[in-house]
Amino acid sequence: METVEVNGSTVGGCLDNLTKQFPDIKKMLFSKNGRLLNYVGIYVNGEDAYPGGLAKPVKDGDELHLLYIISGG
Amino acid sequence: MLTKDEKERYDRQIIMRGFGEEGQEKLKQAKVVIAGGGGLGSPSAIYLAAAGVGTIRIIDHDRVELSNLNRQILHWDKDIGRNKVDSAAEKLRQLNQGVKIEARDETINEDNVSKLVAGFDVIVDAMDNLPARYLLNKAAIENRIPFIHGAVYGLEGRVMTIIPGKTACLRCVYRGLIPQEKFPVVGVTPAVIGCLQATEAIKYLVGIGTLLTNRLLVYEGLSMKFTELTVNRDPNCEHCGHLAGKK
Repeated sequence: METVEVNGSTVGGCLDNLTKQFPDIKKMLFSKNGRLLNYVGIYVNGEDAYPGGLAKPVKDGDELHLLYIISGG
Repeated sequence: MLTKDEKERYDRQIIMRGFGEEGQEKLKQAKVVIAGGGGLGSPSAIYLAAAGVGTIRIIDHDRVELSNLNRQILHWDKDIGRNKVDSAAEKLRQLNQGVKIEARDETINEDNVSKLVAGFDVIVDAMDNLPARYLLNKAAIENRIPFIHGAVYGLEGRVMTIIPGKTACLRCVYRGLIPQEKFPVVGVTPAVIGCLQATEAIKYLVGIGTLLTNRLLVYEGLSMKFTELTVNRDPNCEHCGHLAGKK
């Protein structure tokens, strides 16, 4: 897991800032039509951001955790 | 009623505060189904058998392959080509003759999943794909059977316990499918996760401790870090939403 600092007032805004900093990440998080891939989970301060998702407001100091579904066994 | 040998065999867990002979008796009467006899199924089955769970059913349709042997510790070189459930059952019966092992060489699908899990006290998720996990999740909810989710990738793993109708289910947390691929995994990862799943099963059956409900435990072996994420029941969940507000 890596930690980076981003700016934004919502989860979506933060992810936009993230993909501006690291353009290669965009295709790992969003589909071609700009929707968050449904196997990406977002947690704000350790709590599931769903419902609300990208529109969920965030404040200074909040921690966003991006989690891919994994399915090995 | 525990026999003299059982009291001696399980002495070290019986003497644990909160466990006792009563807890051991609960394990003896319990029935656990482990869906998958591979990387996660191996350690969870081993430790549930060692703990004295009375009946363990293992379901898998695969045969043992060489590439399984870095992590699927119930299967050995001599088992290559054999049905996994037969290979697993042989080792588990030798580990603990007092446990009834049921080997089911079957592919879990929509038509048989409910029948395969009905009547059991706990379902351990030892699958290697998401569609099968969703089938199990749904069957667990329909049959009101606690479901202990586990998954691995590389040196990373996840665990969560689902109590149908009461806590977030797998579909509340995971809302899609992922591209199918050959997944990387070091054997120690399913060892950790499988043991955590067995821990949750034992806790539930004995009635001790606090279960990993509404919490997704994320294990990252590379940084040796555990992170706990809070998950919420989705009232619109297509698997368990209809149980919202019901007991």
